[in-house]
Amino acid sequence: MTDGLLTGIDQPQVLETTLSLPYTLTTGRAAGTFLAELGNKRILGSRCDKCARVMTPPQDYCSRCGSASETFVHMPERGTVTAVTRTDRAILALVQLDGSDSGFLHRLAPDSHHAAVGARVRAVWADTPSQSMLDLDCFALDDTGGHAGSAIEVGEVAVVAELAYSLTLHYKHAYGPHYGRLFDELATHRRILGSLCPSCRNVLVPPREFCDACFVRTAQYVDVADTGILQAFSVIHMEFVGQTRKPPYVYAEIVLDGSATRLIHTIAGFDVTTAAERLQIGMPVRAVWKDRADCHGTLDDIDYFEIVTGSERGD
Amino acid sequence: MRSVAIVGAGQTRHARRRKDVTQVALAREAVTSALQDAGLTMDDIDSVVVCSGPVLFAAVNQPEKWLVDAIGARLKPVVRVTSGGGTGLAGALAAVNQIRGGFAERVLVVAYDKLSEGALQYSISTLYDPFWGREFAVGIMGFAAAYWRARMDSLGHTEEAAAMVSVKNHRNALLNPYAHVKKEVSVEDVMNSRPLCWPIKLLDVPPISDGACAVVLSSEDAAKASADPAWIRGIAYYSEAENAANRSMIQSEPLTIAAQRVYKQAGITNPRRQCDVVEVQEPYTCFELSYYEGLGLCPPGGAADLISSGATLIDGDIPVNPSGGCMGANPIGATALIRLAEVAQQVRGRAGNHQIPDARVGLMQAGGGWANLRGVAVVASTKG
Ligand SMILES: [Zn+2]
Ligand SMILES: [Zn+2]
Repeated sequence: MTDGLLTGIDQPQVLETTLSLPYTLTTGRAAGTFLAELGNKRILGSRCDKCARVMTPPQDYCSRCGSASETFVHMPERGTVTAVTRTDRAILALVQLDGSDSGFLHRLAPDSHHAAVGARVRAVWADTPSQSMLDLDCFALDDTGGHAGSAIEVGEVAVVAELAYSLTLHYKHAYGPHYGRLFDELATHRRILGSLCPSCRNVLVPPREFCDACFVRTAQYVDVADTGILQAFSVIHMEFVGQTRKPPYVYAEIVLDGSATRLIHTIAGFDVTTAAERLQIGMPVRAVWKDRADCHGTLDDIDYFEIVTGSERGD
Repeated sequence: MRSVAIVGAGQTRHARRRKDVTQVALAREAVTSALQDAGLTMDDIDSVVVCSGPVLFAAVNQPEKWLVDAIGARLKPVVRVTSGGGTGLAGALAAVNQIRGGFAERVLVVAYDKLSEGALQYSISTLYDPFWGREFAVGIMGFAAAYWRARMDSLGHTEEAAAMVSVKNHRNALLNPYAHVKKEVSVEDVMNSRPLCWPIKLLDVPPISDGACAVVLSSEDAAKASADPAWIRGIAYYSEAENAANRSMIQSEPLTIAAQRVYKQAGITNPRRQCDVVEVQEPYTCFELSYYEGLGLCPPGGAADLISSGATLIDGDIPVNPSGGCMGANPIGATALIRLAEVAQQVRGRAGNHQIPDARVGLMQAGGGWANLRGVAVVASTKG
């Protein structure tokens, strides 16, 4: 159980969830070559063969004419600040390298407090390459004057073809009045609530503001039994990233007695390897609750649903 | 209502992983191919619809922004449409409506997904309510397997019948140059394959693919320049309430409604007799059985007999998925548009080795979820 009721109005109660997703990104020719060349302390740009636009970092396709015909060029390490801003972590700037037609978003050296639009800067390289944009550590103010010449064509060079990446996303989902009440009742009274539609007289679980079919406001909360009918099931053997339990287990859709909607849960308490033969659609099932100490106001407070004995075919 | 035609279609080389291209380069490959097929350039395109699956698939949000440069769509209208497995068809419907409404004469629809970049089942599981059901979600596979099992009881959609779908579609994919799964399988192979979410087994499941498809849609006036337009004779896309009371999970109501509406638009009263070729988006083999019934190719409960009869084989009287369907390649965001492109190429006589002789009327179906979002289209070689 969380601190206080989930329906408390003083402070909105939230369900905190985290998604941690792994990725393997394909860099493509331009970004892959750019990253490889940063490791060699060279800044790569691309020049459109059709309209001569020069872009840094290099692009696979020209942003002006859409041509895929791009020649890679080594860019001078000096340029001019065209925009600047400060965050709590860094001074960020758009740097237009000499000979480039596009701005390059990067950070300025930490001591560049007086950097302004028009300031001249030069590249500062990281001591140890990490195969990322930060191989170019930052741009530092540079008042040595003069332009550093133009882009030089390069032939084919090594490519960083793939990059490991991850997204870790934290969410705070507000319970709202209906989910709050539902999970409060679940955690404190082991009671499952639905809401009654005054029009079609169906009881909807989880409880909600409106009936999805009639689109009228629901009238009242109704207690629903913790027993029901197995409407559909499958047996999960597959393992996948983000899975919350270990296969094999049963994926079950249950219609609780007194309700007209689907509840997704699992059937256990028997030898799961016999599930395909033993489970029958339409068989009665009953919730097996966790110990009160382990109940936190989630669907997981129900450990699993069990087959109601005496209900099996042939019994 | 203004008539709309498909005047060009193209696909990429699909693969389990395309290491040689970024997401946007993949999309560009399909666009280049479709424009070439249509004999047009981006200068001829008034508007672009980009279609791709959930952004968690490949970690790039608002990818249409990135696509603008890659396909040369700068300063043109560009919007993205997404709707699960039906994404590509929903995008085509948006394009059709842009033309019908007079907003554009030619619209490019490009649909893609690069599924090799991320964790597929995990991403799909985030489609579920975080409070209610997500912790038990197994993509849509656990759910689909559960209601297939229920259909076995009520409609006789047996494991053997589904295995025949796998055998047929795998065999057809051998003829399709774009398919990347090229292997013949037997009913026994499917039946003995490893259970993933029983009754769904490994060979009931299409591959995970990187791939893209693009289609050029044209108004009647603009289509005059095309030698072989494929006319959209009907197109519709419907939904139902996800968690409503007494929801029928046995037949898809949105599919029935969409099919009836499209048949009315296209003047079809007997789809099995009047359609020459069918392409359906089958996330698992059991879906194809259910579509036979939802599309009215056979009565409810008749799907197992229909597949057993051989009628849906490439040389049967109502060939379904001569391209191999999803079994050959399944880049989810592109899959629905591939089905539309395939029937268009069939009625244009451009389907290559899996061409159905003299195909004039093509029927396609696609959708997202188990039964929630369903679309249907009919294309034909004549305007009607
Ligand atoms: Zn250019
Ligand atoms: Zn109601």
